[in-house]
Amino acid sequence: MHARHFDVTVYNLRYGMPLAAFFLLFFITPLLLLVFVSLHNDTAVSVFGLGQYAKVFGEGLALRILGDTLWLGVQVTLLCLLLGYALAWAYVRSSPTGQKVLMMIIVMPLLTSVVVRTFAWVVILGRQGIINELLLGWAWIEKPLRLLYSREGLIWALANVQLPLMTLPLITTLQRLESNLEDASAALGANAWRTFRRVTLPLSLPGVIAGSLLTFSATITAFITQSLVGGGQMLFMPMYIYQQASALQNWPYAAAISLVFLVAVIACVTLFSYLGRLSKGYTTT
Amino acid sequence: MDISRRRIMQSALALGALQLFPQLSMAQARNLVFATFTGSWEEAHKAVLVPAALEHMKDANIILDPMISVDQISKVMAAREHPPIDVMLHDPGPALTAIEQGLVEPYPVADSNFYQQLMPEAQDPMGPSIFYQIVGLTYNPETIDSPPTSWMDLWKPEYKGRVGITNMNSTLGTGFMVELAKLHGGSDSNIDPAFELLKTLKPNLAAVAANPGQLASLFQQGQVDISPGNFNAIQILKARGVPVEWIAPKEGAIAFKTSIHIVKNSPNRDLAFALIEASMSPQVQAQLMEAPYLVVPTNTQVKMAGEVASSLAKDQAEMKSRFLLQDWKVINQHRAAWIERFNKEIQV
Amino acid sequence: MSIGRRNDLSDIALKGSLYLIAWAAVVLLLAPTLIVLIVSFTDSYSLRFPPQGFSNRWYVALFKAFTLHFAAWNSFLVALITTLLCVVMGTAASLAIARSSSKAARCLDALFMSPLILPGLAFGLSALIFFSEVGIPVSMTTLVIGHTVVCVPYVIRTTSSALLQLPPALLESAASLGASRAHALRRITLPLIAPGIAAGAFIAFMSSFDNTAVSLFLRDARTDMLPIRMWQDLESKLDVTIAALSSVLVMVTLVMMVLMEKLTGISRRIRG
Repeated sequence: MHARHFDVTVYNLRYGMPLAAFFLLFFITPLLLLVFVSLHNDTAVSVFGLGQYAKVFGEGLALRILGDTLWLGVQVTLLCLLLGYALAWAYVRSSPTGQKVLMMIIVMPLLTSVVVRTFAWVVILGRQGIINELLLGWAWIEKPLRLLYSREGLIWALANVQLPLMTLPLITTLQRLESNLEDASAALGANAWRTFRRVTLPLSLPGVIAGSLLTFSATITAFITQSLVGGGQMLFMPMYIYQQASALQNWPYAAAISLVFLVAVIACVTLFSYLGRLSKGYTTT
Repeated sequence: MDISRRRIMQSALALGALQLFPQLSMAQARNLVFATFTGSWEEAHKAVLVPAALEHMKDANIILDPMISVDQISKVMAAREHPPIDVMLHDPGPALTAIEQGLVEPYPVADSNFYQQLMPEAQDPMGPSIFYQIVGLTYNPETIDSPPTSWMDLWKPEYKGRVGITNMNSTLGTGFMVELAKLHGGSDSNIDPAFELLKTLKPNLAAVAANPGQLASLFQQGQVDISPGNFNAIQILKARGVPVEWIAPKEGAIAFKTSIHIVKNSPNRDLAFALIEASMSPQVQAQLMEAPYLVVPTNTQVKMAGEVASSLAKDQAEMKSRFLLQDWKVINQHRAAWIERFNKEIQV
Repeated sequence: MSIGRRNDLSDIALKGSLYLIAWAAVVLLLAPTLIVLIVSFTDSYSLRFPPQGFSNRWYVALFKAFTLHFAAWNSFLVALITTLLCVVMGTAASLAIARSSSKAARCLDALFMSPLILPGLAFGLSALIFFSEVGIPVSMTTLVIGHTVVCVPYVIRTTSSALLQLPPALLESAASLGASRAHALRRITLPLIAPGIAAGAFIAFMSSFDNTAVSLFLRDARTDMLPIRMWQDLESKLDVTIAALSSVLVMVTLVMMVLMEKLTGISRRIRG
């Protein structure tokens, strides 16, 4: 077959031009404008300067909130990892019908509004909610526990909301694992824990990284859950940005902290991607 | 022909849909956006004021967009040319800001039927006052054994983890902090004593609400048992089976007058006028004074009666003498800084 | 053939604990939805669970909750137009970049997918500032523009995935039989990737309908969006009507999901 002048399976790049123009105008320009606005010292956006960033790094409040938000992401991701891994593991070992049902259960929350899912947790964690009612009913506690507006309650609510994001990549990875490897490991004398630790877990690392990345990113930007379940005494970056922008109309400061937040997110994503590439190399040797 | 039949079907379906969901035609009618307060005022206005105002409007809808005063100011300042709100409701502090910043239109007093009937204090051509808010202590009589008597009761150790407050974005929160400061050597311009006391209140706090409406819902959920609160919030909660009572602390309850304004550059000035007229009318004010709304009227034609008269004041004169008033001109100068400081110090 | 496993204690312990945690995860995923469904039938004003009495009063209240209907209709309209824009521009972009390995194509790919990674709030704020500085007031149009930016990656992802699975032999044989590029596109490519586009369109629609980060900044009372309306109602009062609304939304989503699964095998495509 002689060479062609063009590849019929590839289309001209100019088909992408409408979207590129759209993005240039409505995505890139606003972000550049955000940077521009953040470089002003006053709320009326007239005095140019680095005052906002001095405030962010000097005053420390924004950094503390950022750190707290990232730490929340880590806590939720770890819990999600535990739950999601077990769920993915069980999925791979289920019958085809079981898998169909499980997949529906896992994918449905992704298509449901986050407000609806978080509202459910307000019902579950409240003083009159199901957990307190059960614990009181079994006489394990005398007075209702404060679960709503607490860190623990928030972590569990977020873990539930983000669980599908962790589980799906794990399922994809675990399915690709050859079961021969586990059998081989068993045949060579390793017990179940050792097989799991030395064979299954390392080979599923790419999925773990992918799922953790998605869960982490979603958790730190989940302002609805953070505010409904976290309450007024726990302030995280998303609500802080919203408060500064909307209630206080301090656009330059809000722009500065959202850019700091953006850079932090990009840094985390890059870290995860790097770990992902490392783990892929690890699994193919 | 097929095409025309299909078209008839389509238009029939569309008309049918509009009948089933009348508010879809909202897009065609004019929409007056009224930013009322969250919680009990939203309920009261939705039930009484909006229907009364709609009677005088043709082909229009009133959309309630509940938010606290300071948020209203922010939203209007962000888009002065095309304000997202047509009618604003303001507590004394933000009202001053709104007028200073040129966000409101003078009320056409000459055309008004009811303006002259208002108390002299309530008359302001830039925005008449249509009710008073009275702030005291709200508590759950089923879980709190002895009714509180003083603002400082909130610090009692037996209320650990049961106290609720709002942040200083709401007038309720700011008024509470200012009053607290004044009782401990502060003033309308210096509330450092209050911030000191706040640190010791933290162990008792169950939640910090974003606005008074959320504070009421915390009572409903049983998350808090005692809090500073507005008088008119309790009856609606009682009607829902939530056990709540209100008392005026022995140091005195705080009163604010609340004013209503037409936003400058609003395209619906005539509708706004009709709404404000309705809010000042004796009929609406009398109805709002009754249970379960218990809103304190400013129209002198309305005789104080019912729970308002028995719990608060027999008439407007007594009201003026019994309650504490604060100097919002002074408070306004510091409020933004105080809000930031509060949000910082309240974090766990 | 699987080699006989030693079913000793460690094996059972491992399997047991993993299945236990998996069951906990399933309960965690299902319980919230079920609880909201049950609570929506309570006859009282509180969210106490289990409810002490049952009635459908909150569904009646939902029927009369005109502000919620208004917000729902707005969200629906915005989602519809957003999806349309996403499908048109996204499919075109996918065609351009999916199979290409040129540097420009890779750059464009990264650009178009970046809204998925960046915090939506930062973009929402930047869009608000942008429209405000340019002088365009907040409206359905600005909402559609904002939503399109954050939803088009979903269409591109599923469409590109479908394009990559398209056997090149089909297109090559069409070309060798004399079909023009446009003809091949219309008669071969598009019909074959249609399920992928449809799946992407569905996800984009749901993503726009449920969007909070962008809607938060770009909406006002006249262009109210349902998730934000629900959130603000939940923040400022305890309205059990929201429970009824949540149940309705969940049911509708469930039905649509089953339909889309039958039509396009969507669960496969979401996994990417």
